[in-house]
Amino acid sequence: MLARAQEAIALLNHRGQLLALNDLALEILQLPESQLIGRPWKDLVSTSVDFARLHRGAQPLETYTSVRRLGGRSFGAWQSQPLPANLQQQVLEWSLTREVMPRRHLVIFREIGHRLTQAEVALAQQQQQAELFAEVTLKIRQSLQLAEILHTTVTEVQRLLGADRVLVYQVLPDGTGKPISEAVLPDYPKILGMQFPEEVFPIEYQQRYAQGRVVAIAKVRDPAAGLADCLVEFVEQFGIKAKLIVPILQYPAWQSPPAKPAALWGLLIAHQCSQERQWSEAELALMQQLADQISIAIAQSQLVENLEDIVAVRTAALRQQEEQLRLITNALPVLISYVDRNQCYRFNNQAYEDWLGQPLETLKGKHLQEVWGKDCYGRMQLPAQAVLAGEATTYENEILGPEGQVRSLNVTYIPDFDPQGEVQGFFALTSDISDRKAIERMKDEFISVVSHELRTPLTSMHSALKILSTGRLGLLSQDGQQMLEIADENTERLVRLVNNVLDLQRIESGDVTMEKQICDAASLIIRAMEAMQPMAQQQGIRLTSEPLSIPIWADADYILQTLTNLLSNAIKFSNSGEIVSITVEAQATQTLFRIWDQGPGIPEDKLENIFERFQQVDSSDARRKGGTGLGLTICREIVERHGGKIWAESQPGRGSTFSFTVPSLPQTEGSVAQTSAQTSAESSSGGTDG
Amino acid sequence: MDKSTPSTRSASRQILMIDDEETIQTVVKFGLRLSAGWEMLAASSGPAGIELAKQHQPDAILLDVMMPEMDGVATFKVLQADPSTQAIPVIFLTAKAQATEKSQLKALGVSGVITKPFNSLDLPEQIAKILHWPLAL
Repeated sequence: MLARAQEAIALLNHRGQLLALNDLALEILQLPESQLIGRPWKDLVSTSVDFARLHRGAQPLETYTSVRRLGGRSFGAWQSQPLPANLQQQVLEWSLTREVMPRRHLVIFREIGHRLTQAEVALAQQQQQAELFAEVTLKIRQSLQLAEILHTTVTEVQRLLGADRVLVYQVLPDGTGKPISEAVLPDYPKILGMQFPEEVFPIEYQQRYAQGRVVAIAKVRDPAAGLADCLVEFVEQFGIKAKLIVPILQYPAWQSPPAKPAALWGLLIAHQCSQERQWSEAELALMQQLADQISIAIAQSQLVENLEDIVAVRTAALRQQEEQLRLITNALPVLISYVDRNQCYRFNNQAYEDWLGQPLETLKGKHLQEVWGKDCYGRMQLPAQAVLAGEATTYENEILGPEGQVRSLNVTYIPDFDPQGEVQGFFALTSDISDRKAIERMKDEFISVVSHELRTPLTSMHSALKILSTGRLGLLSQDGQQMLEIADENTERLVRLVNNVLDLQRIESGDVTMEKQICDAASLIIRAMEAMQPMAQQQGIRLTSEPLSIPIWADADYILQTLTNLLSNAIKFSNSGEIVSITVEAQATQTLFRIWDQGPGIPEDKLENIFERFQQVDSSDARRKGGTGLGLTICREIVERHGGKIWAESQPGRGSTFSFTVPSLPQTEGSVAQTSAQTSAESSSGGTDG
Repeated sequence: MDKSTPSTRSASRQILMIDDEETIQTVVKFGLRLSAGWEMLAASSGPAGIELAKQHQPDAILLDVMMPEMDGVATFKVLQADPSTQAIPVIFLTAKAQATEKSQLKALGVSGVITKPFNSLDLPEQIAKILHWPLAL
């Protein structure tokens, strides 16, 4: 039947081995029957059709086209090493009918486009190679899953190389390794996942591979292959007859050019088990290129893994920080919130819930006024507007606390700028200062009470000493008289100190308000001069003034206190025969008072803090002169309460000038009446009243 | 209510001091006598002072503001309400130095305010100034 057929026919057994051929088949294959019988059909036509599984195939008839090279030892599609000129190829078209009989397959074939030239074959091979390469590259680009990429690579390489086993072997840091991806024909054992000991892959091999060297072994038994006997034994247990090993190198991610030498990541290995195999240059090149692509894929996947790791670590760290922040903000007895530019809450810490007795969720998105009520919001409105205009603001507010009692709050608003510098909201920090306020009040009250209580015994002491000093109750010895004077002087100083402490405390605590009204600068100056005249006279100081009549907006008593204080200082620190002068000058929106002396002056480094309490230039000297160290502080408080400024200028050795300003009238219509009495009143000596 | 009797009678001025502090009473007594030769009556409480004022009709009353039970302001109001004492000038003695308090006290109708601590030797001068008494020291 076969002999008479018009087609070339071959009968295969269930394993795909030739059982019989007709004459036409022998003619086309150009081989004697004896060489063909028992030989796998796939060897002849280099196909990857799995004959062992044919009986399970779906299609009864399959048609293939194969390139077959004549005269070669092997028939692999990638046998593209240079061929002798007499060698030719033929293209066979063949169809396969499965199970024509039980466990028998029928192949009908014919020669089409026969005898392709070597160049055509090379071209076709190159094309196939390029297609594979493109496909693998595409997969690598499309996938970040290394396992998938490796699987694709080994599968495709196995198919196109016609190798019996292709695997990717990963070298582990301890020198051991294991195949992590494998494509193997069913006839041969799988080695995927097997752990290989270090000896299989000694360190010198690793070093060699790390330099990118490709190793092609046609015959593992060949001593020229350089495989140790034990290794030969080892590979033979897996049926390996020939192998091709290409290193997969790992470049440090995103370093171009690499700063560190490439490390050996693993190997791309092809095994031939059916027979020994001479690997061609083109095959080596393809393997090399694919190994490079795998390197890229590894770098990418490690980068992604790294990124994912970093993101995971950072996310965890952020979560932890956020949690810590939440714990902290919740543990603080401070109200902390974030308010958006529409004055609605975006974040509130736990303290809000405790304070307001409302769950935090209900606050989110609510307007400040809605949360705090109209009255309270009235006091928030201006600071909120200020902070939304970009200005950090601190103010005090009073609200009803959780138990309905009034609490004093210190509130700080901090603007939140976006990268463009626009305010997108603000942080609000609110602390309960009720306790502090209460303590401050207690302190103020204490100072006040103590000062008051001190006054009565001081009056007794002061008066008693003065009476003793008259000598009218009996005369003391000279020493006794001296002691009496010391007691008297120090009592006076104590009186001043108590007065000053009380004054300062009252002014600072805001207990007193400056009752401002229109006063005449000239009259204040004259009154101050009159008050200080006795002291000046006693020390031989001449007081001069230019009391211009300028209306000022001030509390006359306090400005008088400031003037006498400054005059008293000037007199104290002048020498006998010197002049202390007081002038006044109307400026654009304020009036400037100056008190100057011809005394020793103040060193420059002392000018700054001379207004701080107990900061005399020379404290021993000042004490001797009866100073309390509070006079200038009181002056500053008074002037600042008027909205003015006070400062000192001095040239050591050439006297000091103390200046302060007081605002002019609140509404000045046109020019202030300058009915200045240009009386350069050199105040007359003498004249205590009474 | 002209108390400014001729200066020849200045030595015979009589001041009533109402203050719960006895040491103050003492130093004031000495001060008035030594500087001006004035006489002083002393009471340690408001009610006692009011009684003395009625009995002795002093030329002026020095009244301490801070006293237990009946304070200076209450005492002053009683003195003002009583026709027999309402003409006697009253000067408050206070430990509070604040100007606003001073003016509040003045607003009650007292003749003046003297702030502690003071030197009792200066008191006759201060009193004379407040009450416009001629004083020859």
